[in-house]
Amino acid sequence: MSVFSDIVFGGLFQGSLYAMMAVGLALVWTTIGVFNFSHGVFMMLGAYFAWQLVAFGLPVVIAFPLAVIVMAGAGWILQASVVRPLIGRPNIVLVVVITTLAAGSLIENGALTVWGPRSKQLPSLIEGNTTIAGVGVSLHQIAIIVITPLILAALWSFLNRTRLGLALRAVAQNEDASQLVGLNVTALYGLAFAIAASLAGLAGIFMGGYRFMNPSMGADPLLKALIVVVFGGISSISGPIFAAYLIGFFEAASNYYFGLYWTPALLFLVLIGTLMVRPEGIFAGRSRGLA
Amino acid sequence: MTLLDIAIPSAPGRVTWNREAIGFVAGFLVLALLPLVFGDSYSRHVLIMIFIYAVVASNWDLSLGYGGVFNFGHLALFGIGVYAYSLLAKVAGVDPWIALFSSGVIATLAAVLVTIPILRLKGIYIILVTFGFAQLVMQVIISQSDLTGGTQGLVRVPGLYVFEHNMIRDGKLAYFYIALALLVASTLFLRLFVRSRAGASIVALRDNEEYAISRGVSLARQRMVTLAASAFFTGIAGAFYAAYQRNASIDVFGMSLATIILSMVLLGGTSTIYGAIIASFVLTVFSEAMADFGAWRPMITALLIIVIMLVYPSGLVGMIRAAWTWVAERVKRPA
Repeated sequence: MSVFSDIVFGGLFQGSLYAMMAVGLALVWTTIGVFNFSHGVFMMLGAYFAWQLVAFGLPVVIAFPLAVIVMAGAGWILQASVVRPLIGRPNIVLVVVITTLAAGSLIENGALTVWGPRSKQLPSLIEGNTTIAGVGVSLHQIAIIVITPLILAALWSFLNRTRLGLALRAVAQNEDASQLVGLNVTALYGLAFAIAASLAGLAGIFMGGYRFMNPSMGADPLLKALIVVVFGGISSISGPIFAAYLIGFFEAASNYYFGLYWTPALLFLVLIGTLMVRPEGIFAGRSRGLA
Repeated sequence: MTLLDIAIPSAPGRVTWNREAIGFVAGFLVLALLPLVFGDSYSRHVLIMIFIYAVVASNWDLSLGYGGVFNFGHLALFGIGVYAYSLLAKVAGVDPWIALFSSGVIATLAAVLVTIPILRLKGIYIILVTFGFAQLVMQVIISQSDLTGGTQGLVRVPGLYVFEHNMIRDGKLAYFYIALALLVASTLFLRLFVRSRAGASIVALRDNEEYAISRGVSLARQRMVTLAASAFFTGIAGAFYAAYQRNASIDVFGMSLATIILSMVLLGGTSTIYGAIIASFVLTVFSEAMADFGAWRPMITALLIIVIMLVYPSGLVGMIRAAWTWVAERVKRPA
């Protein structure tokens, strides 16, 4: 019984982090049609901003939300500097890959210069530990498991219930028509990036609370988020969310049965297998064209 | 705006064979004479690294530029070359030259293997799968640490030899010419390939897939040929890199090397082969010149890449072509 609850708990926890990351990637992809390779760096930056604000003496309740808001600005700036000028170029997908990679390297090395290579840690959301169904867990992790679905639900209702969210989805579906009905497409592009960066920053804050942070901490979560969006289908928001939890459970189970070293390899094999059978992702309905 | 709209300009075979052959021979003769100017082993080391990067980048240009296949596992093919050579030469005790050649073959086989899952895919999905493939290779190498040394890597990998020649005390002269020979062979192969009918057919698939298929070009076969062709010399370059550095480390799978090489391809201008080679000279020399900047170096390089991509999308070759046209017009019609 303990093994089972171990896997369920681990899956929920990892899945929550992956979902936060993957949703941002999917949001940018569906709206702008580019892939943001500095997404992992956003995660790192969010954690470091939060750490800096806490170091300034701000209480966690103010510091964390403030860091998330600052991240929204950072996302907007990145979009305005390395993505927006390229829109309309014939090979935009490829060029944005290289510019976001380069921007990521710039930010990562900048963080290294500003904050140094020494590992840091953020305060937990809630201190303390507890035991549930025979598994010892920290309250911080429980808080993440509870908060993430709430945030994702809020994002979902934003995209489906508010005018602004609908505008964002309209741009994702038909850019020309959106422009015709008077939507400010450039601003909506910025908004998509800002939301994605905030979510990544929040994931970074969550992660910084239970693991040591360093400037390259975003690389692995970015990779996992990539797997998640491929697995779940990139053209929707709900697909990656389901896939994130599924992959979280898969990873937890595989870690237990096959060991830590073989899990990434197995994960990629599953990914490649999935793509051979269903290139559009397992949770994708009618996708936005396979391109 | 779909990925189908992607059309990278320029077609192969515009310059006549004769003119290109003259330029090719002249260019590489100049490179062959460089050790006369640069006698110290540091400059020669930089040149050797440039040649290795140039091979990797120009082969990437074949799949990325000409083929339009976004193979983000290209550096994994390089890494496979590094580890295939190291394992064959060090662990299995194979003759270094045979190991070098075998590494190219192994990288080619790996490229064929990675083509299978991407045969049905397009655009961003190819990026994701090939990216995943690279990580898969890295994870397998890390997990097999008994054999590969895991994250520690392998040291004391056997170097190459040329008869009884002393490879260590010649100021890197022998390695320089082996690296140059590798670049010559690779560039010759690439240019012949892109100017051939096969080269024309992969460009046709890139520019208008439906039309090319309707004219009888096999997408699956040509995609496999493209990736396999781009893998052979990449694998050999990896093997040579391992032989030259005398070690193998998983750093070759890292994002930083991939970013640098990819920027060489894009900076030079895609679908040219020569562009990638020129860009590897420019970027490497630039990077070495900034050695004193320490932590600022990767930041300045990143900034440079962004700026060039924003202001000069067709890359260095586009710049050179524009300059050449300008000069040619002045020469023809003196003002």
